[in-house]
Amino acid sequence: MFTVLLIVHGLCAVALLGAVTHQAFAVWWPARKGAGLVSSFRAVQAAKFRNGIIALFVITFVLGAIIYPAYRLTVRTYFETARLWNANGSFELKEQFAVLGLGMLPFYWLVWRQPLDEAFAGARRATTAILFFVVWFGFLVGHVLNNIRGLFGQ
Amino acid sequence: MNAERTFPVFAAAFAIVYVIAEQWNFALMTYHPRINAWGLWAEAPRSGPAMYWYGWIGTALIGAVLVSLASLPFTKSRRLPAWIGWAVPLAVIVAFVYLLRAFFFR
Repeated sequence: MFTVLLIVHGLCAVALLGAVTHQAFAVWWPARKGAGLVSSFRAVQAAKFRNGIIALFVITFVLGAIIYPAYRLTVRTYFETARLWNANGSFELKEQFAVLGLGMLPFYWLVWRQPLDEAFAGARRATTAILFFVVWFGFLVGHVLNNIRGLFGQ
Repeated sequence: MNAERTFPVFAAAFAIVYVIAEQWNFALMTYHPRINAWGLWAEAPRSGPAMYWYGWIGTALIGAVLVSLASLPFTKSRRLPAWIGWAVPLAVIVAFVYLLRAFFFR
C-alpha cells in the first residue's frame, strides 16, 4: 500500500510540476509569438492553471502526509544510521517548504482570480515563483531520496 | 464581510506561526507512528519516534485563522498590502534554510 501511495504521490507531483512550470514561465517570460516549442510552452493562459495547481498541490500534500509515517519509521531511520545528514536535512527542508506553500494557497487563489487584478501583478509573479521553487525543490529531493531508500522502504 | 481580503494576512500569519511552532514545538497534536496513536499537544515519544509535523500544521492553521479574523475590521476600510502575502512566507523559507543548516555542516 505504501508503495502504491508513494507512486501516486510521485505522479501527482509530476503533474503539479508541469502545471506550475507552465504558469511560472508564462508569467515571468511571456511569449509574444507561439511559433516554436519553447514559445508555445510559455504561451499558455496562465490563469487557467490556478485551480488545477491548487488541487494538485493539496492532493500531493495529503498523499505525502499519509505516507510520511512510513518514511519516518524506515527511511529516515536508515538515513540516521547511515549518517546521511544531507539527505535527512533535505527532507526536513522539503517538509517545511511544502507546508509554507500550502499556507500560501488561499493568497495564490486570490491573486490569480479572474479577471486578473493589475494591483496583484507583482504578487502574482512572486507567489508563482515561490510555488515553482517549492514544487521543484520538493520533487527533486523526493526523487533523490527515493533513489536512496524510498521505494520498498517498508 | 469579505474574507478573501484577509488572505495576504493568512499567508503571512501561517508562515510565522508555523516557524514558531516548529522551533518551540507548539504542536497541536502528536502522532506516534510505531503504535499508531495520537496525543493532544506535544507529547514525549511513547514507543519509537514521535511526529510533531501534523501538530505544527494544526497550530499554524488555527493561529492563521485567528489572526485573519482579527484583521477583518482593518480590511473593511482599506486594502492590505499584497506583498505581505508572499514576502513573509519567502522570508520564512530563508529562515528555515538558516535554522536547519546544521544538517549540512556536520
